[in-house]
Amino acid sequence: MKRTGFLFDERYLLHKTGPYHPEVPERLTAILEGITQGGLIEKLVPIPAAPADLLWITSVHTAEYVKRFDAACRSGKQMFDSPDNQMCAQTYETALLAVGGILEACRQVMEGRLDNAFCAVRPPGHHAEVSRAMGFCYFNNVAIAARYLQKQFGLARVGIVDFDVHHGNGTQHIFEDDPTVYYYSIHQHPSFAYPGTGREFEYGRGDGYGYTKNSPVLPGQGDEDYQRLLERDLFPAFAEFRPEAIIVSAGFDGHRDDDMSDTKLSTEFYTWMMRQIMHLANTHSSGRLVSVLEGGYCLQRLPELARHHVETLLDG
Amino acid sequence: MFVSRSMTRRVVTIGPDASIFEAQELMVQNRVRHIPVVEEGDKLVGIVSDRDLRSALPFRYFREGLDPGEKAKLQSLCVKDIMTRKVFTISPGYTIQDALLMIQNSKVGALPVVDEDGRLKGILSVRDLLRAFINVLGIGQPGTLLCILVDEKVGQLKKIVDAITEMGVSFGSVLVARYWEEDKRAVFPYLLTQNVAHVKKRLKELGYTLLDPMQWYLDQLPQADEPPEKPKT
Repeated sequence: MKRTGFLFDERYLLHKTGPYHPEVPERLTAILEGITQGGLIEKLVPIPAAPADLLWITSVHTAEYVKRFDAACRSGKQMFDSPDNQMCAQTYETALLAVGGILEACRQVMEGRLDNAFCAVRPPGHHAEVSRAMGFCYFNNVAIAARYLQKQFGLARVGIVDFDVHHGNGTQHIFEDDPTVYYYSIHQHPSFAYPGTGREFEYGRGDGYGYTKNSPVLPGQGDEDYQRLLERDLFPAFAEFRPEAIIVSAGFDGHRDDDMSDTKLSTEFYTWMMRQIMHLANTHSSGRLVSVLEGGYCLQRLPELARHHVETLLDG
Repeated sequence: MFVSRSMTRRVVTIGPDASIFEAQELMVQNRVRHIPVVEEGDKLVGIVSDRDLRSALPFRYFREGLDPGEKAKLQSLCVKDIMTRKVFTISPGYTIQDALLMIQNSKVGALPVVDEDGRLKGILSVRDLLRAFINVLGIGQPGTLLCILVDEKVGQLKKIVDAITEMGVSFGSVLVARYWEEDKRAVFPYLLTQNVAHVKKRLKELGYTLLDPMQWYLDQLPQADEPPEKPKT
């Protein structure tokens, strides 16, 4: 059994998004419930969360953006940058706390105290651009984590696998000209789904050309199509890139019961996919893997999805 | 939707007496395929395209270059000798729709934009038109496409737009396919939001059918098990 860390903090529930918004605190409650009921919580190492040092936030975002976000929050604004980004007075602090917890998870994995970790955080991050909040995201959690791994622990190559059903435009743009971070994303086709990027012909830019890969999935497609694309695109790419650590943008919104997408993934497929990503980490990255929650909005399915996700991390 | 807003203003131009090699170099440097030919005061007198140049220069020029003697002979060939003099032009006040139809009818790749005095103000290429339409579709902005089936009667679009607007969601664009199936139209709103679950629920409550875009897409694909049609003799 692997030493798997679990990041959760009651304060992640404090970010409130207002009426008719799917990115709700109950998502985390559902995830916690699934892990607790599965009797897994005793097997996991709890990871404490403290607000991230702004130094790390600004390794990805501009200082101006961070200030603007902080100020908007303080002034009691209920929306930031886009109508999708509903917020409350605690949003800025919660976002800092999410990053802080994730960096602690990265540190423990790099110091060998943990093999891997699952970070059940809010708000999510992969849509957040360098200086723009969008798609429920404020700080790009996984991008900051990748920079932290590089700057603090000297990793030369970091691989990001993003299986949220929406394309991680923020993460892609942050690393698109950087050959040291490989960004792979599988998601619903951008002509049908938010945010409209992540087309098959986007491969990165400049020095980073060839270090971005997107596998768009058409509406209505499911397990078999995902499997075919992962085998065709992700596995060979990571075998060649040999990331020294893998960060997962774990979104569970491609599930057939999640009404935020039209893809038809089964619960079992998520387990299969995670096992494959674990295998990539074991083969190329000494098992180092940090999984970070992105989307996933079906409160009925989240408990089982989280339980299987963590079980897979523990099984290694 | 006026030409003046979508055209390229900084136009690469050339004089009628310049050599064709100069025109060729300008095209390569600026990555353009059409150069308006102007006289003093930006007066448009012609246009030279990469196709004009390819017809004027020997094939070998583009592969391995020419020997000095050959080149010297062609050096005397000027832009005015090969340019198109009867140019299809448009005025800045034309609409993008005008330009689209003109380009389709004239089969040219770019239209110089000239004012009433025949002075060059800009150029509108197929590339500029594409950019204008990406803008119109709104797909440069993050959003989600919906596909709604509606009865063919007055006021349907209004109801949909009202319902979505009431939810505080902005539109990137709305496309309408007028003939979808018998007595039905299809409406494709491109919504600038990720939060579509809520919108879909509301539309269903209002009695609309949301189409599975793939159903339509797959219907359009040729069926693999059908034998290809035999050519008629």
